[in-house]
Amino acid sequence: MQPFISATNISKRYGTTQALDNVSFEVGKDEIVGFIGADGAGKSTLFEIMTTLLIPDAGEGYINGMSIDRDYQKIRSCIGFMPGRFSLYQDLSVEENLRFYANIFGSSIQENYAMIEGIYTLLKPFGKRKAGALSGGMKQKLALCCALIHKPLALFLDEPTTGVDAVSRTEFWDNLIQIRDSGIPIVVSTPYMDEALRCDRVAMIHEGKIMDMDTPKEIIKAYKGCLLGIFTGERYLAKAIVYRLAGIESVYTFGDSVHINLPTCHPQIMKQIADSLKQGLSAEFQLRELNPSFEDCFLQLMGQAANER
Amino acid sequence: MKNFLVFVHKELLHIIRDPKSLMIMILLPLIEILLFGFVLRFEINSANIAVYDIAKQELSTQLIHRLEGGKRFKITVANSMPEAENLLIAGKVKAVLCIGEDFEQKAREGRESSLQLLLDASDPNIASTIETYISATLADFWADSIVSAPAPLLKVEPLLYYNPLLKSVYVTIPGLISVVLMLICALMTSISLTRENETGTMKVLLISPLKPLQIIIGKLVPYLMVSMVNVGIILTLAFTVFQMPLAGSLIMLILVSLLYSLCALALGFLISTRAKTQQLAMMISLAGLMLPTTMLSGMIYPIKNMPLWLQGITMFMPARWFVNILKHIMLKASPFSAYADDVAILLLMTATLTLLSLKSFKIRFK
Repeated sequence: MQPFISATNISKRYGTTQALDNVSFEVGKDEIVGFIGADGAGKSTLFEIMTTLLIPDAGEGYINGMSIDRDYQKIRSCIGFMPGRFSLYQDLSVEENLRFYANIFGSSIQENYAMIEGIYTLLKPFGKRKAGALSGGMKQKLALCCALIHKPLALFLDEPTTGVDAVSRTEFWDNLIQIRDSGIPIVVSTPYMDEALRCDRVAMIHEGKIMDMDTPKEIIKAYKGCLLGIFTGERYLAKAIVYRLAGIESVYTFGDSVHINLPTCHPQIMKQIADSLKQGLSAEFQLRELNPSFEDCFLQLMGQAANER
Repeated sequence: MKNFLVFVHKELLHIIRDPKSLMIMILLPLIEILLFGFVLRFEINSANIAVYDIAKQELSTQLIHRLEGGKRFKITVANSMPEAENLLIAGKVKAVLCIGEDFEQKAREGRESSLQLLLDASDPNIASTIETYISATLADFWADSIVSAPAPLLKVEPLLYYNPLLKSVYVTIPGLISVVLMLICALMTSISLTRENETGTMKVLLISPLKPLQIIIGKLVPYLMVSMVNVGIILTLAFTVFQMPLAGSLIMLILVSLLYSLCALALGFLISTRAKTQQLAMMISLAGLMLPTTMLSGMIYPIKNMPLWLQGITMFMPARWFVNILKHIMLKASPFSAYADDVAILLLMTATLTLLSLKSFKIRFK
C-alpha cells in the first residue's frame, strides 16, 4: 500500500545555505511523525515544501496521491497547516477566527465541532476575546482548532508547542493523539526531545538532512556504546577532568549530571574515571551506568554527523 | 461565492477593529482638501498696484475708482514715474498703471488712446492674471463710460464659458479630488497584502480553497465601501465650502468617482503584491503617487503645455481622465457621450491593474 504522505529526495537551497539535502520520508495514515531538530535544521522549510508554499529545487512529494507541485490547489483545500509563528488574526476574536477558517473551507463550526470539541471546551469561555490577547498555550490551541475545523486529510504542525508551558504542552500532545486516533495523520516538528517520545516515529533532522528515522524505542535501542552518568555538584570540573582522559567519545553536561559516552563500560575504564574524579573533585560524587534517553541518542547522532564532515 | 463573502466580512472586521486607521483614512482627505483648497489658488484678491495718473482728469479718476471698486486691487497713487517704478522694484506693488496726459482728449475724439501697464513678471501667473483683470475692467469701463467712443476697427471680445469669473477653485477642486482619492485609496489597499505577509497569516490564507482573484476582489470591496464615505465627504466639501457648481448629474458624478476609486484601489493592491513591507508599500503609494498625480493630471499645469513625451506619460495617469470627466459633469453638463471615452479608459485601467495584480500575486513563497 502507498504511504499517505511521502517525500522523495527533496532538496532546497537558499543562496549558499543548503536548507534541505536529499530528504525522503513516508508517513502512514495512522501515524504521528515528529521532526526533531535544532533551530535552523530545515524543519520549517520542509513543512512549507510539503504544504505547497515552497517549491523544492529537487525531489517530489505526495499527499494521498496528490503531487505537492502539480496538484497544489487540491492539496491546499484539504490539509491543515499550523505555521511556526502564531498566524491567526489577532484583531479577530477566538470565535471569529474559528468561523473564518471553517467558512473559507465551505464548512461550519457546527458541522465539524466534534473534531475540536476536546480542545475547544477550554477555549470556549474566551470565545469573545481577541486572539491577540490569549496566552501562549491558548493561542496554540486555537491555531490547532483552526487547522482542524475543516476536517483536513492530514495535519502539518510546525513547532506547535514552542514557547508553551509544560502543562499546556502535555495537554496539547494528548489532543494530537486523539486527532491521530480519529484518522488524521500528523506531521509535527518540535525542538523538545521529551515530545519525541510521544510520536509514533521520529525523524532526526540536522543541517537539512534526516540523520535517522524510526520509532523512539528503536532509536534508543540503536544507541551505540554505553552511557555513564556522574552525579556531582561540580559538573563543569568533572566534565573537564573526564575530557582529558583517553578513549572517551563524548562528554556533556546533562541536567544535574555529566554524561559520558563510551564504546564499552568495562569495569577497568570505570575505575580509571572514578580515580581521576576522586583526585580532582573536592566534593562527593556518584558514577553509574545509565539507560540512554532520547536526547542522548540525538546528541550522539549529531556528534556522528559532525565527525563525518 | 460563500467563502468569498466570508473573506469580505473578515476584511470589514479588520477595518472596523482598527478605528485609528479608519479615522486617518477618513480625516486625511478632509484635511487635504481643505488645506489645498484654500492655499492652492491662482486668482487674485486685493493685489497691490500703483497708478500714476498724469492726466488727473474726470475720465481717468473714474477709471481709478472703477479699479478700486472691485475687491481685486489695492491702489497706491504714485506722483511720478520713478516713484511708481520704485514701488514695483521694491515689490510693494505687482503692477503699475500709467494714464497718459491725453487719455481723455483722445478718447473723446474717438482716437486710439493708450495706457501703459508695467507688470512684475517674476511670477508670470499673477502677472498675466492681473493683466486679464485690468483689460476686462477697462473693457467694462469703456462700455459703461459716458464717452461715446466709436467702435474700434477690430474688437477682440473674449467670452469665458463655464468659469466666467475665472475662479481657480473650478480648476483646482477637480484636480484635488482626483489627487486625494488616488492617494487615500492606493494607501488603503497597498498595505493589505503586506500586512498579511508580515503577520504570517498569508501562509494560512494560501493553504485554503480561496483563489487569488477572490482574495484580490475580497480585499478591494470593503475598501470601496470606505471610499464611498470619502467620495461623499469630498464632494460635500466641494459643493459647500468651495461652492463648486454641479451642472450635470449627481448620480453620474458619484458613479465615476467610485470607478476612479476602484482604479486607485487596484493600483494600491498591485503595489501590495510587489512591496516587501507595509512601510515600503506606504512610501510608494504616498510619495510615489503624489507627485505624478499632482503634476501630470492637468490639475496645476495644462497638459497641452507639456513636451510631447510628457504628454504621452500623462495618458497613463488615471487622474488625467478623471479630472476631465469631473469638469464635464460639474462645469459643463455635457452628455455622457462627451466623456464616454474617458470612462472607458478608466474601466480599462482598472481591469488591467486587477489583472496585473493577479499576475504578480504570489501563490508561493520564496
